[in-house]
Amino acid sequence: MLKASSLMVFYENMLALNNVSIRCENQQIVGVFGANSAGKSTLMYTLSGIMEDIKKKEVMAGGERITVMGEIEYLGQDIMGLKPSRRAKAGIILCPERRRIFKESSVLENLKIGGYLASPAQAKTTLEYVFTLFPALKNLSKRVGGFLSGGEQQMLAIGRALMAQPKLLFLDEPLLGLSPLIQATLVRATKVIRDEQKISLIVTEQYARPVLPIVDFAFILENGAAVLEGTREELMDNPDIRSAYFGI
Amino acid sequence: MDILIYGTINSVALALMALGFALVYGISRVPNFAHGAIYVLSGFITWTFLRGLGLNYALSIFLTMLIIGIFGALLYQFILIRVRGIAISEIIASYAMGLAILEGLRWGGFKGMSYTLPVFAEGSILIGGIPVDYQRIIVVGIGGATVASLWLFTHYTRLGLALRGMAQDERAALMLGIDSDFMAVVAMAIGAMLAGLAGILLLPLGNIVVEAGYNVLILAIAVCIVGGLGSWMGAVLAAFIIGFAQILTVVYLGSHFQMVVALLAIIFTLILKPSGLFGMQKQLEERV
Repeated sequence: MLKASSLMVFYENMLALNNVSIRCENQQIVGVFGANSAGKSTLMYTLSGIMEDIKKKEVMAGGERITVMGEIEYLGQDIMGLKPSRRAKAGIILCPERRRIFKESSVLENLKIGGYLASPAQAKTTLEYVFTLFPALKNLSKRVGGFLSGGEQQMLAIGRALMAQPKLLFLDEPLLGLSPLIQATLVRATKVIRDEQKISLIVTEQYARPVLPIVDFAFILENGAAVLEGTREELMDNPDIRSAYFGI
Repeated sequence: MDILIYGTINSVALALMALGFALVYGISRVPNFAHGAIYVLSGFITWTFLRGLGLNYALSIFLTMLIIGIFGALLYQFILIRVRGIAISEIIASYAMGLAILEGLRWGGFKGMSYTLPVFAEGSILIGGIPVDYQRIIVVGIGGATVASLWLFTHYTRLGLALRGMAQDERAALMLGIDSDFMAVVAMAIGAMLAGLAGILLLPLGNIVVEAGYNVLILAIAVCIVGGLGSWMGAVLAAFIIGFAQILTVVYLGSHFQMVVALLAIIFTLILKPSGLFGMQKQLEERV
């Protein structure tokens, strides 16, 4: 479904992604694990095209020089250099780190704004789907986004991303700073989304253990380079990985 | 009673002047200093259609709105987009465009007292014993309708919701497939049309003079700063506060203090509550 090969991203002379190749097959959940500043968010930005926008703004403001190299193939097409809105239209949706929900809009409005790319019929069915997936949101639908708890905000962010009708959904650190209970709910929901919506997902996390049971394949990033990859079982069997990322 | 009636009229007029500015700033964070110029320009375009080409009044207004909308979109697409995100350059570029338009109009011979637009309907009625002419009633009516339809547009239509999403977090909107450059162009077109609408509604109350462009810009900025930059409902509320304050000044102090009120309002707001009455984002950050 998605195949990115030898991605290189430079911020000025700083190498943020070093020759990273990752792929995601149809209806797979792929994990990308790595410590803080390993390049997870940069990878997500590069794949979803947000990096193109950041680059453009930096050029306009005369700021940092950002260089992106490599190839990204999505559904058999080269999408390198494509604007983020075009990629989103093709089904690549990013649910960003720290959620970035619309703080002044209500929960319902957040979801409606998320449905920008959906047809009215799609928006209606997806809205109902999001409320069955996260029943907690239904009771809060009038609440202003900024007043939600972290877990509720994350549910909203995922729901909002679903409204955009993704075929390939990126969840960037969805569990960051949440309680184990909410983490478990979200991990379960992620699997349900894959099974029911028949979409592919790439999930990044610093700490792999909560997400590991649901991933089909995973990549480990270290200092901007993909140092290891394998199926869940392969990674579990590697003693270094177990101690460093799974805490077992 | 006359304070109440003329205060309301003045407030709605101010709200009309400021809405376009507030909308553009709220969505694309570009302070459109060409706002006043667009206001005056729309008056002269209507005048040209009406008097120069002899078209029907309604048709002239329609054509003017169309042209002004396209003009706003082009202004953004070809000039402001290049300096987007660089605050000082945005102000200089848009102010320069405003100056070019206004002084260009003056240079082109649009000066003096001979340029007037006819009122939409002649005559006046008595409200509570005070004579109010129809044009001012139309201003209040259309002003109210504009605010209401703007609210409906931004709360219930796909495009309007996308504009609000972008106003709150541009990058998050991008992730949902909302093309921010296109949205900013749309916002600028709507903003320019709002300035044009204000011009067409308010200019029949007096002469079309180039200087009005500068006054309208100052008033729009005053309203937006008091209301909280980027907040549309704040702008409407601030328009009422400044509008009534102006009328009270006219009644009790003298009409030449009218402009002072708007400028003092800016100064006091910046001293007491820099984020304005409805600096929503700030307020949320403080509470959470």
